[in-house]
Amino acid sequence: MAIYTAEHRRLMEIFHPGGHEQYSEVLSSLGAFMEREILPISPKLDTGETAISGPRRSLLEQGICQIPFQQEFGGLGLPFSVYANAIEMLATADASICLSVEIHSAVAEGIARFGDRKQKERFLPGLLSGGSLASFTLTEPASGSDAGTMATTADAKGGEFLLNGSKMFITNAGEADLYMVFARTRKGPSCLLVEAPNPGLSFGGDLRKLGMRGSKTSEVILTDCRVPAENLVGEEGKGADYAKEMLHAARIIVAALNVGIAQTAYDKSLAYARNRRAFGKPIGEFQLIRQKIADMKIGIDAGRLLYFYASRMKEMGEDFASEASQAKVYSTEMSLMVCDDAIQIHGGYGYTTDELHRHWRDARLLTIGEGTSEVLRMLIARKELARSQ
Amino acid sequence: MKIAVCVKHAVDETELKLDPSGKPQMSGAASKMSAFDKNAVEEGLRLRAKHTGEVAVLTVGGAESRKTMKEALAMGADRGILITGDPLAMDAFRTAELLAAAATKAGPFDAILCSEGSSDTYSGSVPPMLGELLGVPFLGYARKIEVEGNTARVERSLEDSVELVEVPIPFVASVVSEINEPRYPTLIQIMQASKKPIEEVQQETIPSRAIGRATMVSMSAQPTSRKHVMIDGSPDEAAAKLLDALKKEGVI
Repeated sequence: MAIYTAEHRRLMEIFHPGGHEQYSEVLSSLGAFMEREILPISPKLDTGETAISGPRRSLLEQGICQIPFQQEFGGLGLPFSVYANAIEMLATADASICLSVEIHSAVAEGIARFGDRKQKERFLPGLLSGGSLASFTLTEPASGSDAGTMATTADAKGGEFLLNGSKMFITNAGEADLYMVFARTRKGPSCLLVEAPNPGLSFGGDLRKLGMRGSKTSEVILTDCRVPAENLVGEEGKGADYAKEMLHAARIIVAALNVGIAQTAYDKSLAYARNRRAFGKPIGEFQLIRQKIADMKIGIDAGRLLYFYASRMKEMGEDFASEASQAKVYSTEMSLMVCDDAIQIHGGYGYTTDELHRHWRDARLLTIGEGTSEVLRMLIARKELARSQ
Repeated sequence: MKIAVCVKHAVDETELKLDPSGKPQMSGAASKMSAFDKNAVEEGLRLRAKHTGEVAVLTVGGAESRKTMKEALAMGADRGILITGDPLAMDAFRTAELLAAAATKAGPFDAILCSEGSSDTYSGSVPPMLGELLGVPFLGYARKIEVEGNTARVERSLEDSVELVEVPIPFVASVVSEINEPRYPTLIQIMQASKKPIEEVQQETIPSRAIGRATMVSMSAQPTSRKHVMIDGSPDEAAAKLLDALKKEGVI
């Protein structure tokens, strides 16, 4: 199965007429790596037979996270849409590793955008080359979408901050070397970098999830966790704004991730519809199966165009918050529909085979994580009403 | 140590489609570096890592073959020599002739590595011809290559035995896939490969010997027939029957 396909290549030609050849070289090499190193182990990541750490590290060492970052800090300086395409490809190979890498990369994006030069020089080269792993900690046991009500505190004391509180549903918890923690100081929500190990940093057990089972998700507990003042990212009290900005970009990536999940379920459905026979002919010849295939394909292509469009807006320095949210809402819901149809097309095998229903289980997370569909619809409507004035 | 590695930009055999008559549709097919050539490049890089020196990549092909050349450069080769021409439109001898001329001009090389055969036509005849044209020993099906001083020790993987051969350098060897695990270039290496030099040589500038040429008469897919053996019984009985059947077929 080719992960970097002719369709991807064509989209690169359309969206990047000037640089598509180089971008395609990068993506096709990455695709070949994913086909050989990630795709075959994907079922074992879901069942827990294979640990995520080894393959994730190899993938990061290949340079996937370097794609959109500045060259002076170890990046490749390529467009964000190239990175988004790489994420789609990775989700086609395995959604759990993709989720873990996406979170890791969101932290790097936060440091690159809001960190000072010293922080960029200190943390980015390691994060981008796979030398270290990052985790983004915003949600708390009693606050999710309403991040402004966070209860975790960061008290300034003699050149350092003392963090207390807990963060919930945290991807890469317990594995990461660097935690981006949002905590309330006297000036309001602020963004801090906590390096592990730290005696004030501990973790809950690995949460048993419906999907994305290859990635680790736990509670992060901060108990008198001392962090040097130099690890404050940007300005004190601006943490909520930074988180919002980071999440806008992350939503494009989550959209790409869901297109990748849907693509895998669709590819399996196509193969099954061609080969499975009923009433003397392949089921792909029945109209109702064909309708599903057509709807799946329309959804995937539309999702891909939406995330490419939002990516290009980001690259061009435009306000892309609404477009990123549209891409995320559409692609996460589309991917659930596609994975559900894939189960239906596979019949009993779809319901009983991990290889099929894990795509639905994986997709199910993402109408919730990184902004629920409900909250994002409010954001889109607010933005569009403001634009229309 | 100066090493040359011969590579070929070939159709991607995993994506190849057949027409209704069973003939592979070569025109417009997806293409890539011939599968085993990566092993040859990897071996060249390993020898360079041990002995220092350089790895040059040679290929005969059209504009598309620059992709394969760049992939080899991204893996770590130092420079490329592209001889323009369509390898599918010429016979193996002409390809060997072009490679020999280019290697002589760009060399001398201590070792010239090829793969055991290309993943499209898989004739495996270019490497021995190359050895002959260059007047150096040829070692086919190499699964291990060690060089000490002016001597190369090569393990050849034959059908039912392994042959250990010592030859003086320079030599030509074709490698089998078990010789190594090719590295993946990182994305930074891919970007940097664009800056490495690729010299282009026009094939018309290399004289062709007037000898009888081989012509490909046809190419078709090998038909495979299935036996459709159904095994019934309880799981234990079926497993025992399957085991017997596989033993009878000589599979295990």
